[in-house]
Amino acid sequence: MNQKRTMTLNLTDQEMSVLDQLSVQKDLSKTALIRQALRLYQLVDARITRGEKLFFEDQDKQKAELMVL
Amino acid sequence: MDAQTGAPVDAEIFDEVALAHFIETQAEWRPVILAAARALSQQPNQGLLIPRHFHWDWTRKEAELKLLAVKFYGLGCEGKLQGIMKVETVAHSCRLPEQQGKPLVYIDYVESAPWNIKKLMGALGQPQRYRAVGTRLFEAAVLQSQEEGFRGRLGLHSLPGSEGFYINECGMTPVGRDPHKENLLWCEFTPEQAERYLAGE
Amino acid sequence: MKFNKDRNWLTKRAEQEDRHFISVGGLISRIDPEWQADVSSVPNVETTKTAFVRLLQLARRERRLSLEQLAQKADVDLGELVKIESDESFKPTPRTIHQLAEFLKLPAKKLMALAGLLKIKDFGLQQASVRFAARSEPVEDVSPEEHAAFEEYVKFLNEQ
Repeated sequence: MNQKRTMTLNLTDQEMSVLDQLSVQKDLSKTALIRQALRLYQLVDARITRGEKLFFEDQDKQKAELMVL
Repeated sequence: MDAQTGAPVDAEIFDEVALAHFIETQAEWRPVILAAARALSQQPNQGLLIPRHFHWDWTRKEAELKLLAVKFYGLGCEGKLQGIMKVETVAHSCRLPEQQGKPLVYIDYVESAPWNIKKLMGALGQPQRYRAVGTRLFEAAVLQSQEEGFRGRLGLHSLPGSEGFYINECGMTPVGRDPHKENLLWCEFTPEQAERYLAGE
Repeated sequence: MKFNKDRNWLTKRAEQEDRHFISVGGLISRIDPEWQADVSSVPNVETTKTAFVRLLQLARRERRLSLEQLAQKADVDLGELVKIESDESFKPTPRTIHQLAEFLKLPAKKLMALAGLLKIKDFGLQQASVRFAARSEPVEDVSPEEHAAFEEYVKFLNEQ
């Protein structure tokens, strides 16, 4: 189950740059970062599919709905 | 570790536990916990220990079993689960200023079978079965954090009664009370603290 | 995963663990140092909360009201009503209980006790609540049995 497979990613310069930057910020390898992104995507998607909504709340407690995936 | 003989015992930690198994396990533990809590409440200094409601929304957990972000662990011995744990890797991140925003493994739930808990068995006048069950699960969470690339960073909301344990014995940093979680204390490991814990300092 | 195999380490950790309740979440964690309840009410804490929720649900359905309608008529927060019915550990505010009691014509103090806001010392109330909770089921249509159980329970609450 924990067997891993290799995949090649084709990213633009800008995407690579973001990946690099986030990796440093989060102290994560690029693979680990992509893995986190995938988990987050799945989790959010699962809840939105169930009918829930995702909101951001700013400092003044104003809610704004995040785009529906 | 076998509580009676003090001998280490082989146990298996598996990180895929079927929901049905989880529920069954909890159902089995419940009457014992309630009985022990009742017994404890009759002792003069133990005013603490009376369970209120227990809710664990299992219908939702079913859906969570399929999420990459969530892992259910079980520690098995004697063909039974002796302790269970649920961790998450995405919904929480570090709050300590020096590692703010970095990912961590969050222990959402960890519990030993009541017959492994010294205080509960003491109240029932029964022998403790296994020791260090919670410890092994906690250790698994730290190891997972290292394997994930989170360097051992770990977070949890400690109950009032265990704050001393997580802060003094495990060496976690108490960060602050969380108003979104019944004012429970948020405790966190830095990579160095995690290393020290695993090495045994 | 490379677990620490050192026996001394394990013994030390076991000793530390034995001195505390280290569970996170779960039944043991639902321990409230302030809840100095009588031992006799311990096994029934959950049942009276269940009875409370069922009572609300049946009272609402007997009047053919949706949650929104009940919220409006009783002048309570809809979100809270939803939580009461769906989240076992949720504790409603005293005002909401009071409003509901007024609207449903039930004794407020009893409702507060059932909801877990007041301590229950009344064994009779516990017994009746356990019976009611056992006889009522959360389904859509109110069966004649449920209706009878509901009537009996309400009568009991009002009598004392």
